[in-house]
Amino acid sequence: MNTVVRKLGQIQASWDFGLDNMPSFDKAMQRVYAWYENEIIDRAPIRFMAHNAFLESETDTLYQMNPEQRKKWWFDAELQVENFSKSIDGRTFHAETFPVYFPNLGPDVYAGLYGAELEFGAVTSWSVPFVQKWEDSDKLALDLNNIYFQKIEELTRCALDQCENKFMVGYTDLHPGLDCVAAWRDPQQLCFDMIDAPDQVQRLVDLAIEDFETIYDHFDNLLKQAGQLSVSWMGIPSYGRMHIPSCDFSTMISPRFFEEFGLQILEREVQTMTHNIFHVDGKGVARHLNAILSVPEVHAIQWVQGVGDDLPIMQWVPFIKELQAKKVPIIVDLNLAELESFMDEMNPQGLFLWVATENEQEELEILKRIERWT
Amino acid sequence: MDQTLEPIYKAVLIGDKDAATENVQAALDAGKDAGVILQKSLIPAMEKVGQLFEAGEYYVPEMLIAARAMQAGLGLLKPLLVDSDVKPTGKVVIGTVKGDLHDIGKNLVAMMLEGAGFEIHDLGTDVSPDKFIAAIKEENVDILAMSALLTTTMPMMETTIKAVDEAGLRDVVKIIIGGAPVTTEYAQKIGADGFAPDASQAASMSKRLVG
Repeated sequence: MNTVVRKLGQIQASWDFGLDNMPSFDKAMQRVYAWYENEIIDRAPIRFMAHNAFLESETDTLYQMNPEQRKKWWFDAELQVENFSKSIDGRTFHAETFPVYFPNLGPDVYAGLYGAELEFGAVTSWSVPFVQKWEDSDKLALDLNNIYFQKIEELTRCALDQCENKFMVGYTDLHPGLDCVAAWRDPQQLCFDMIDAPDQVQRLVDLAIEDFETIYDHFDNLLKQAGQLSVSWMGIPSYGRMHIPSCDFSTMISPRFFEEFGLQILEREVQTMTHNIFHVDGKGVARHLNAILSVPEVHAIQWVQGVGDDLPIMQWVPFIKELQAKKVPIIVDLNLAELESFMDEMNPQGLFLWVATENEQEELEILKRIERWT
Repeated sequence: MDQTLEPIYKAVLIGDKDAATENVQAALDAGKDAGVILQKSLIPAMEKVGQLFEAGEYYVPEMLIAARAMQAGLGLLKPLLVDSDVKPTGKVVIGTVKGDLHDIGKNLVAMMLEGAGFEIHDLGTDVSPDKFIAAIKEENVDILAMSALLTTTMPMMETTIKAVDEAGLRDVVKIIIGGAPVTTEYAQKIGADGFAPDASQAASMSKRLVG
């Protein structure tokens, strides 16, 4: 028996977790764990869902609202969890598509936990820059009674009350690094700061990572005590501790600045995790891959090629093949029309496909095709 | 390059705004014409910055400090340029479309356009079609430049172009668009005059459009 499967079997035996709407849950987890080891047990893993699909279905409603109403919508725990639960009613989850609710106040919530104010839009939220003068840094402090911290906890508990055997509950989107510093300072201003005031930037970097484990552990403990696995917005669970390091801000800076300011954060935030998937948000972030992959605890990457001219996946085949050659497991997001060409060009080693589909029939047909992909 | 102008060029290139202002003042004190200083040092320096960005040698921080140095030098020249009736390369109204609050890309474009000698009217973010139209009329602009960073806000570009057309202004203004989800095909589809993938190319394209 495959070593990965054997070791995982021992872990799975100690967990009492299953989903009525995902009969192949255990097998799917085996494929996920094999993928982390750059192995395939029977076929490449595949997830059927569009990124942000749940939120984007609410977009029209949200655009009609004023800012107060939008904030209220995001903050309505019962509504959020109920909407998610209804969105998956009657659905059977195939392949490595795990039904996951994660409490979401937007990617700047980490900055908000230290006192920054969030404004809420239709699909995401953003922070109002808080550190206008350097003295404002003195006000930055993690506050567990903070409105956003309390709301994330409320959303989590509300989901845990309703999830049994139907969906998994994950933790929120945590960005403890330069993205947090950019949210505190404003991204354009931070670009100036890296040249004008590197010492002050270092101070903010230190603050941004200081309490990361405290925050992560709080929600990890809450979820584990409720019998949940570790999972977040990517929907790829772990029986241990799963994290999604990222640095979207780094698309704007040189490799030198990433190594000076960003790498130290990455090296710290991956330390206590069993599974880390780095979110590579486009070709700008990809220029830092040598540094990112120099951190041995980065187990895999999610490649997000972007939109517009960057969207078609076939132009990225050489890039993906380079990563395959380095034995880096990669998540690849592509549309259905590209799937056949992509599979003709690539071998499945180390690849985790994400494909948006219209219906269950499509998913089952794709699965049959993937099973023949060698 | 003229020895009174070369220090200005170098100061902008390395983003030293103090050196840029000192050397612009020194050039003025030496009798150099404001228009010549603009055309022969500040604008070429920003062209070079754009080339370095396209070549992957400069990134956003380096562009920003170069633009800041250029703006510092230009600040000394502006009153003199007005007095001597030196015309800008063209006039641009720029903004991020309604519903979109992203501004860095738009700001970089505005800086590069200013560095190319354009007069800029920056309407900021979340700009409605009506606001764009009002600015086109009021400022008598040559170019409307729109930015969108989200696929959900990108349709506002088409809405704005239709509104400009309905206002009877489509023939008097060139329209360029940019932002992550935007493509050349989309620009053609919605009737824009051009798509610029980055700030440097936005400046080159704008110069060609008013040429």
